[in-house]
Amino acid sequence: MPSTGVVASIRGTAAVLGDHVSADVVLPARHSFLKPEQMAENVLMDLGPEANRKVRAHSIIVAGVAFGYGTGRESPSRALHAAGVRAVIAKSFSRLFFRNAINNGIAVIQCPELAQMPVQDGDEIVISLAEGRVQWKDKSLRIAPVTDVVAQIVAAGSLINYGRQLLASGVTQS
Amino acid sequence: MTGKTFVQKVLERASGRSGLVPGVIVEATPDFSYSHDYAAWAIDAFEKMGATRVHRPERIAVCFDHGIPPNTAKDANSLKRVREFVNQHGFAKFYEAGTGVAHQVMVEKGWIVPGSLSVCNDSHACSGGSVGALALAVGETEIGFLWAIDRLWFRVPTTRKMILSGRLRAGVYAKDLMLVIAQQLGVLGALYEILEFHGDAVAALSVSERFTLCNMATEVGAKGGVFPFDTVTAQYMQGRAQFPFTPVLPDPDAQYCAEMHFDLSTLEPMIALPGREDSGVPVSAVAGQHIDQVFIGSCTNARADDLHIAAAILKGRKVHPGIRLIVTPASRQAELEALRSGDIEALVEAGATLMPSGCGVCAGTHQGVVADGERCLSTSNRNMPGRMGNRNSEILLCSPATAAASALAGCIADPRQVG
Repeated sequence: MPSTGVVASIRGTAAVLGDHVSADVVLPARHSFLKPEQMAENVLMDLGPEANRKVRAHSIIVAGVAFGYGTGRESPSRALHAAGVRAVIAKSFSRLFFRNAINNGIAVIQCPELAQMPVQDGDEIVISLAEGRVQWKDKSLRIAPVTDVVAQIVAAGSLINYGRQLLASGVTQS
Repeated sequence: MTGKTFVQKVLERASGRSGLVPGVIVEATPDFSYSHDYAAWAIDAFEKMGATRVHRPERIAVCFDHGIPPNTAKDANSLKRVREFVNQHGFAKFYEAGTGVAHQVMVEKGWIVPGSLSVCNDSHACSGGSVGALALAVGETEIGFLWAIDRLWFRVPTTRKMILSGRLRAGVYAKDLMLVIAQQLGVLGALYEILEFHGDAVAALSVSERFTLCNMATEVGAKGGVFPFDTVTAQYMQGRAQFPFTPVLPDPDAQYCAEMHFDLSTLEPMIALPGREDSGVPVSAVAGQHIDQVFIGSCTNARADDLHIAAAILKGRKVHPGIRLIVTPASRQAELEALRSGDIEALVEAGATLMPSGCGVCAGTHQGVVADGERCLSTSNRNMPGRMGNRNSEILLCSPATAAASALAGCIADPRQVG
């Protein structure tokens, strides 16, 4: 096995967003080349300062359908990571956002059941990646177990860091 | 034991794992990968990882298509850097600017083969489903990672069964069917799914027509589209395949997340109105509306058959003086065929401006930009604001026949009305 870390679980508080939050709304193209801290200042500002404030205060986004649709740019995912977001739980995701987010160190969890519950901003959530469970209040919901490779990329913070660790360890065979 | 879909079978083979169900993430080694101008960013990622060796360069190709020939010194320098990297690492094939749109070139030259897993850092990589491959889009960073580490992660998707029956009537084409599919599904209607095409009608659809349908799978949010291998695919691959291949067919009792039926004989020529690909209406509903530019190009609809359809309408006639007609063949091969058949001559005589084979106007980064308030009728795949380089202009999507008929009429026109 590669000598990289695996994130077993992610514990954080919820920032609740709605349906159809596009990647362009997460971070418009004009902010693609900002420094990480400036990206964090601009993330989700198209939904207003309150949306920006809460994703910077809470590390787990809970959203509805089609999260991250639109652009296939990687910068919205980098912006969320810069804002401290470690996981996005939603009913459904656009595929390129799904890939870009994981490859930039964010766990992406499809869990329609949680998205339908009355989760409030600031509620505590625990995601057990390996076991495939999401914990909210007294509810323990099943999700697809998160594969080691994804947990390793999330732990490394990005696909590039993960690749660097694999090469440095000299073990590139899975 | 239930059967498996096409994508389950390909990912099981490429990952060496069995029993894959939707939602599971696996690591797999693609059989082939390719890139274009944006390989420059893959090189960035490769170098940031500290990688020095590219794995299996004999299974990697690059084809420049986006901003070609380059407009600026910066672009030219970026292409030069990619060329040097490709040479240094001994990639299987390098296609210089002007060969065509990478997706078209990789299918046409036989690099994407049936049953294979192919990836490219471009959202229209899904076009390779036209020859029965699992052809998927990934990010530039991932291409760099693949070169360095020789594998990528993939999430096993659900599959939607698209059942096509009946024959398209005269003047109605695969593009019209695709615009109907988009109109019914919506731009997010098939999120993360594979569209698997079935039914009596598929045997009558050429690889070029299948390409149009798979190409725009991404416009309904899908991960990809595929026409499972059949005699049409077998014939197309003859003398073309670069690699030995084993066709993959879905099991008859495979599990699908949804099923949709389309009777091709009931379809009409369609136009997607500006802004969204799912805003399709019959051409007849908007005939006579103003347009300024017509673009017959892109990997969606600019192969030899598409150029022939347009040329048949424009032959011996003149493009309306109020219209700029730009023709960009999808590949040099398509251009050559259309030159030999006389179709290019007919188009140029009619007043078309011929541009070098590549993404052209569709990518919105290079030539053919329309002015504020203007409208471009296009055979390409995307019409969101700004796609062609100006947010203050509008793009409408249609078939090559509707594009040609409209270029002739000087406004949106039904190709069935042109004698």
